[in-house]
Amino acid sequence: MALLEVTGLEFQYPGGSPALSGVSFAVERGERVALLGPTGSGKSTVLQHLNGLLVQAAGSVKVDGVLVGPDTAREVRRKVGLVFQDPNDQLFLPTLMEDIAFGPLNAGTPPAEARQLAEGILDELGLHHVGGRAAHHLSGGERRLAALATVLVSRPELLVLDEPTGDLDARSRQRLVRLLRRREETLLVATHDLEVASALCERGIVLYGGAVAADRPLGDLLADLPFLERHGLAAPLTE
Amino acid sequence: MSFHHLDQYASVASPLTRTVPAARVLGVAVLAVGAATLPLGAWPQLAVLGIVVVGIVAAARIPPRAMANRLAGPFAFLLLASAGLLFLVPGEPLWHVGPIRISEAGLERFGFVLGRASVALAAAVVLVSTTSFPELLHTLRQLRLPAVVTAALGLGYRLLYLLVDEIERLQRAARSRNAGAGAARRRSLMVGISGAAMARAFARGERTHRAMLARGFTGDLPSLEPHEWDRHSGILLAGLALVVAAVSLSARVTL
Repeated sequence: MALLEVTGLEFQYPGGSPALSGVSFAVERGERVALLGPTGSGKSTVLQHLNGLLVQAAGSVKVDGVLVGPDTAREVRRKVGLVFQDPNDQLFLPTLMEDIAFGPLNAGTPPAEARQLAEGILDELGLHHVGGRAAHHLSGGERRLAALATVLVSRPELLVLDEPTGDLDARSRQRLVRLLRRREETLLVATHDLEVASALCERGIVLYGGAVAADRPLGDLLADLPFLERHGLAAPLTE
Repeated sequence: MSFHHLDQYASVASPLTRTVPAARVLGVAVLAVGAATLPLGAWPQLAVLGIVVVGIVAAARIPPRAMANRLAGPFAFLLLASAGLLFLVPGEPLWHVGPIRISEAGLERFGFVLGRASVALAAAVVLVSTTSFPELLHTLRQLRLPAVVTAALGLGYRLLYLLVDEIERLQRAARSRNAGAGAARRRSLMVGISGAAMARAFARGERTHRAMLARGFTGDLPSLEPHEWDRHSGILLAGLALVVAAVSLSARVTL
């Protein structure tokens, strides 16, 4: 059984044109998949369906065999760790330590244990020196890592990242990619950065106009330049 | 981000910052209640409370100029709010122009109310200057303030920084395209910037709410364990409470 199964997903924002039209794909446990597409192709919209933040007009999402819906949202959100595109959306408490402990505390972890977990993940990501600071006192790179820490602390089975390197400089981007390569969670990365996708993933799904345009090994996709150009994706920087 | 940090004296080592934040919050409450309950005309007792506050400011190592700057804005508001007493309290007129007159009783009431409010205000300014916001929030939770209030304060604090940051970015963008424009044009731009900032704040709030839901938020902001009380804090708070109680008692005995 696949860890994630998305079948015939359809969605429309209020007053807007259809954002998703019959999106289907599956992600196996341990797989690393890139969800590729230009801005506005529906990547973020798909991701927000994976833990029930948006409710589809048609189709279904299953995580580890559990159908995502209002009744199962709590269970699903423990399995799916979603890192948002803008880390500022994810860091909303007065200190980083509280932000990181937020997930475990919500899951019923006692405060002392939640603090230990938060300290552990801060150490793991090299952020132990900023745990007491507010997010507005962190650099862009630290903020991005901090947003990741708020999700990793809950040990999700499926780690979902929305444009994880969008606002990072080269060094911070490299640091994040190295860190993600060491992780063992199943990974789904939405990005239009093909270099990051190729460094992290072995399979690519291209979304274009709210529908799946391709689902192939990433190497094949990156070699198909005419296809990438037709679907609003630049060629890899290294080629 | 040019947002000024209110709690910049929280990291200054002082007898005040050595106390637990709960002692500071309760100390402010003691001083405010003590000042508010002084009977009208208890000028010497009000002066004693004023001296106590000045002593606390000195102990907190807040420079007088910084303290004056922080007091100025809220004090202007106090002045405005209590100015009505000058004209509304009946009594022997001291001064009048047409129908507007100031009575001696009105002047005394105005001065006393302003004095009492200033003592409480100064104590509150010391509190926010020496206590970081997270500590303050923990303390309010510890003191059993309703969860919905502490949650709103906590989220508001973080979002305030984001909002100020966004307004600054919008202002810079507007300024860069506004070379040589007159004051009227600048004012109209400010209105536009305010509108755009409101819309962005709304969108930010929506996204933040989704991020909270994604991490299991169910309506309550759980908290890590707050500070433990210690002997030093207990002694200082008890000392302050004794002084305020003595001042209050002496005012009732003498008036």
